[in-house]
Order: sequence, then C-alpha cells, then structure tokens
Amino acid sequence: MTTNAQATRPAIQVENLTVSYGPKPALLDVTLSIEKGLLIGVIGPNGAGKSTFIKAILGFVKRDMGTVAIQGVSAEKAKGLVAYVPQRGAVDWDFPVRVKEVAMMGRYGHIPWYTDPSPDDWRIVDEALEMVRMSEFKDRQIGQLSGGQQQRVFMARALAQGSDILLLDEPFAGVDAATERAILDVLENAKASGRTLVVVHHDLTTAGEYFDRLILIKQRLYAYGPPRAVLQEDLLSQVYEGRLRVFSNLIKKER
Amino acid sequence: MDTLINLFLGPLQETFFQKSLIGGSMVAIVSGVVGCLVVLRRMSFLGDALSHALIAGVAGGYLFMKLLFGIEAHAPSMLIGSLLAAVLTVVLIGFVSRVSRIKEDTAIGIMYTGVFAAGVVVVSIFRNYIHIDLMHFIMGDVLGVADADLWASAITSAAVLSIIILFFRYFQITSFDPVMAVSIGLPVVFIDYVLTTCVSLVVVSAVSMVGVILVVGLLITPAATAYLLSDRLDRMMMLSALFGVTSVVGGLYLCIWLDSAGGGAIMLFCTLQFLVVLLVAPRYGMLARWLQRRRMVPQQDMEDILAALYRQGQLSESDLDRHVEIQSKRRRSLKNLALQGLLALNDGTIALTEKGRTEAKRIIRSHRLWETYLEHVGIPEVEIHERAEHLEHMHDTSTIEYLDDLLGHPEQDPHGTEIPEDVICNHGDRPVPLSYYHRGRSGVVAKVLTAAKDLSLKDGEQITMCERIDGGSTWVVEKKDGSRIRLDHRQADAVLVKCI
Repeated sequence: MTTNAQATRPAIQVENLTVSYGPKPALLDVTLSIEKGLLIGVIGPNGAGKSTFIKAILGFVKRDMGTVAIQGVSAEKAKGLVAYVPQRGAVDWDFPVRVKEVAMMGRYGHIPWYTDPSPDDWRIVDEALEMVRMSEFKDRQIGQLSGGQQQRVFMARALAQGSDILLLDEPFAGVDAATERAILDVLENAKASGRTLVVVHHDLTTAGEYFDRLILIKQRLYAYGPPRAVLQEDLLSQVYEGRLRVFSNLIKKER
Repeated sequence: MDTLINLFLGPLQETFFQKSLIGGSMVAIVSGVVGCLVVLRRMSFLGDALSHALIAGVAGGYLFMKLLFGIEAHAPSMLIGSLLAAVLTVVLIGFVSRVSRIKEDTAIGIMYTGVFAAGVVVVSIFRNYIHIDLMHFIMGDVLGVADADLWASAITSAAVLSIIILFFRYFQITSFDPVMAVSIGLPVVFIDYVLTTCVSLVVVSAVSMVGVILVVGLLITPAATAYLLSDRLDRMMMLSALFGVTSVVGGLYLCIWLDSAGGGAIMLFCTLQFLVVLLVAPRYGMLARWLQRRRMVPQQDMEDILAALYRQGQLSESDLDRHVEIQSKRRRSLKNLALQGLLALNDGTIALTEKGRTEAKRIIRSHRLWETYLEHVGIPEVEIHERAEHLEHMHDTSTIEYLDDLLGHPEQDPHGTEIPEDVICNHGDRPVPLSYYHRGRSGVVAKVLTAAKDLSLKDGEQITMCERIDGGSTWVVEKKDGSRIRLDHRQADAVLVKCI
C-alpha cells in the first residue's frame, strides 16, 4: 500500500505553524516532524494550545501561517488519514447505538453511500474490537460500559478506520489505574502494528514512563524529544511557572 | 358483538375516515423517523419554531398567487411559501446566534415568534383577500383531508423517507459525533441543512393534519417513546414510525367515538402511549428503575455486617441485629454478601469466608485509622467512635495510605486495640515501604533509596520487623544474622521491601 516515498516520509510534519483566535496566538511558530511508529505524548499546562495543536493536525482550524503535512499530504486534503479519538465527555452516552455500530463508524469514510457495510468491513470491525478486547461487549449500548471500556470502543473505531495515525485527546482522564494500564496496552499494541499515536496527556508523573517522545508546548514548542530530554527542571519551570514544586520530586525520580 | 364490530368497522367504510387514516399515517411515519434525529440532537424547540413560522409562508404563498394570478388557495405555492419561511427562520436563527452573544434557544424564540407574528398580521390585514381559517391552521383538520393534501404529503413523505434511509449512516454519525464526521471528510454543515429541510417538509405536511400547536408533539413524542425502548437508531426509527401510526389510528377512533377534535385526540392518544411506555419500559422505564433501586443494598450496611462479623467471629442471624444497625433489607444484604463469596450462611449462623475476612480487615483497618486520625486532630474522645463509623466507608487505597503515613503508620488505635496491617501481599510484586510492616512480618529488601543509604541494608537481604519503640516513631528490624537496625519514619519509607 505504501510506496517507498511514503515510507521514508515523516508521519506528521509541521512547519512554522501559527494559529490565533484573537490578538494572542494559540500556537506560535511551531515546527516539528514526527517519525512513524512512535507513541508520542503532548504535554503542557491548561490552555497551552494542546487541543489547538490536535485540531491543526486534523485540519480543523484556520492557520495564520505555516503548513501541516500528513504523510506528505496537506492537512485539509488528508481527511481520513488521521483517526481521532475524542475526549470521553464529547459524546452523548445515551445515544441509541451499540458498541459494534460505533466501531463500524470508523468504516463510514470507506463505504460508498449507496451500499451497506461489506463482510470485509465487519471483519475489520471485529478485528479492531478484538484488539481492544471489547468483543464480548459488542452488543451493549455504549452507555452501559465503564469509562475505560468506552475509551477502548473509541479506540477500536479509530483502528477500524485503517489510518496509520491516531490522535487521542486525554484518553487517561478520569479512569482508574487498572484501566489506565489496559488503555496503555492497547496503545502499545497499535504502535507495534506500525501506527503512529499522538496522545494529549495531563499527568506529568506518568508521561516519562508511557511515551517514546514528548511534545512540550505552551503557545510555542518548548521541547520535542525523548522524555529524559524533555522532563528537565529548567524547561518545566519555564512552562509550568509557579506550579513546579509538585514536579521537583518527579524530576528526581527520573534521574 | 355487532356493536363492537360496528364500533371498529363502521368508521372504516366512510371515505373521509379512510383518507384521514391514510394521510395521517403517512405523516406519522415520516415524522416519527425524522423525529428520532430531532430528539437525539435536542432540536425539539426548533421543530416547534418551524411550525409557527409556517403561517407567514402560507400567507405569503396565498397572497402571491392571488394577487398575481388570481388563483385562490393554490396548494403548491403555499407549500413552497412555508418552506421558504422555514428556511428563512433557520437562517435568521443561525445569524443572530452567530453575530451576538445571544444563545441559540433564545434566538429561536425571538425569530419564530417574530415570523409567526408577521404571518398573523399579514393574514389579518388582507383578510378580504386571504380566506385562510386561522383556527384551521392552528388546530389542524385531520378529518377534512383533501385529495391535494394527500398527494402533497405522499410526495414529501416519500422524498424525506428516501433521503433518511439512503443517507442513514451520515445522519447517524453527524448526530452522534460531529467532530469524527468532519475528520473523515463529511460535509457536516450541509448534512445539517438537509436535515433541517427535511424537518421543515415534515412539519409543513403535518400542520394541515394536526395543526401548528400539536405538530411538534407528533414529531417528538413517538420518537421519545421509541427512545425508551431501543438501543439502536434504526430500530428506534422503526418503532417511532409504528408509534406514530398507532397514535393516528387510536386518535382517529377516539375522535369518532367521542366526537372530539381530530388533532387533539391523536396527540392525546400519543401522549398516553408515551406515559404507558415510560412506566413499563423494560430498561429505561420507571418501574424498571424502581425495581432496580429496590434490589440495591447500601454498601455501608454490607460493610457494617462484615465488620461486626470480624469483631464477633460468627453470629446467628438473630444476634446480628444486636451488633449492626440496619433499617431494612438485612436478608438481602446477607444474600448479596454471600453471592460475592464474602460470607457463608449455614442454617442460621453466619461466618466470614477467607475473602470476607480480608475485606472485613480492610474496613476495620480503615475504621481504626480514622479513629486515630480523629484523635490526632483533637476530636473529643466521646465522639470518636461515632464519627469513625461514618468515615470508615471512605477506604480507597490512596485515602488509607495517606492517613497511615500521616499518623506514622500506627500499630494501635486510641483505644489500644491493634490496627490490622495493610494487606501487603495484595500489592502483588510491587515493593512497599518498610514502614508499612507490622511486628512479625518478614520481607526481602528490594531497593534502598537515598534517605536510607547510610544504614547497612543491602538489596536482597531478608529482614523481620520487630516491635516499634519511642512511642511508635522508631522502627526496629532484625537481619538474618540477628543484628538489629533502628530506622526513623523517613528512613523506613526509603527502604522498599517485597513480601515473601
């Protein structure tokens, strides 16, 4: 499926990206290139532009400047190349839809409007549900699942989309430790199958342990690299300002 | 018997009744289907608004044909007029909520009453030209369905239904997760407009049957009824269409038998139908909810039973009441605990299982730690037990670990009774700080952190905890060779041990 040219291209290439909603930029001059097959965490304080960054990759926001290329294709034209897993609060859990139907939504971009899902589509959906270990729940209405299970269903949907790049918005928010582990396993499986995952993450204490690379942003890109290089006291104190005390322990732990 | 047959079959032989039945059912099916999307997208108010805005369109269409061509009550142009009015209203609503701080629901309220008012004024000014019966418009006239109306609703129903069925997936995904829909490249805004147009079409064709006031009911009540019964959108739509049809059929019979207003009878039947389903729906109904709540036993009661059994060993059921205060559902609590494998019931006597003992230990530990904490913060002794009875139910791991650490990992509570040790082996392979250990427990040193580096403890060394000294603030461990080491709280926290 992938040609040689595609294989060597970075998964996501962002150059001089500037986005603003008013006089103050939400993102300023961000340049980075994300290699394929990595599990990447996006960290930064509240209102630092993490979700704007995700939206820019999805091609949702108007850029004031710069380019975003997904596997070499401009973000606006790359619809479907990136699968998005929303925050858990973003959908109506009372919606009359079952687990397997949610996963099937991942295939909607591939099914022509005049036909029903093919057996192949159902096979892909089954595989995706199997991968997140949600097969036994596939006939449940989504509101009857626990928080972590709901998160996994949406990951199955993203996997069924067949995209090489997955964007996840705070998948670990509000779940217990065991669930966090289960979600992380799914992320690692997806990575092992060659996908690139970009995850917005809130918890600095686990960021170093979970991810291959970290992106530290607050308007500007402060650092991009392996956790060891990003979780530096001076960097974090610049980004998190007065709230660093909490993290000084963490930095010690890292050493 | 004959009267009964007459009661049902009599009306069926009347042409007007047949027409109402056919026209009403067509409208009910399509509004039921579209109504599901309206309900799920919380657009009910918009449906109401559209129905009111129509009057301006109907008047406009009427006047247009009358003044230019001299044609009276030209149905197609009134239909087009209504559609234009509906679209205009939607556009105005969108405009106002976009350019100002006014929220959408308020914008809807302003715009539809405005357009409705314009329609009423126009109709009354031109009352000599326009022969529209306002009452007819407001109340509808399901029994007086004309052939032209039938054709108009047949065509709009077929068109709308085809659109919904053909593009079902797109309506489903844009209603459920619009962000995802955008990300796979669907034209979400366009789909929204298509849906709004469909709603307008349905409303237009339904207004002549049930009238402005009731049309929103026909749109949302069958859908809401189906919502209580279904976990799939396609099935919800089918059920909703079915409920729409039963409302029309039931309502029309009601109207004939009671000689009442047609639209009113239909909506009354529809609402009663909703109330019945609300009561008895298997999962989301009130009865089901009530039964479910009744089956639930307060967690606190169950924990109190476990704690009492731990303290007393085993008890007969009648003795239980003396030790635990439970208002009701004692039997159910016991059964529930037995089901979880926490206790064993043997003709009248109750005893904890191994699993139950572990769980009870956790609760007792929590209780006694809370008591120690209460004493620590200076609560008078007489109140301590009472308060701890309430607080003990907060026993999640991090709370307990916090209390334990804050209080210096006490081994005894203020009354001098032993606080059960943390169920250390539940931590699995994870090493825990040495400070967690109580007297007599042995373990293997897994890691020595900086604060304890000066002590002569090495990784892999086996140790046994001895009694605490200095009022509990100094830990003493014995190494395998019999030598003893003293540690303060900070040092004891810095030695991580695994249990053996």
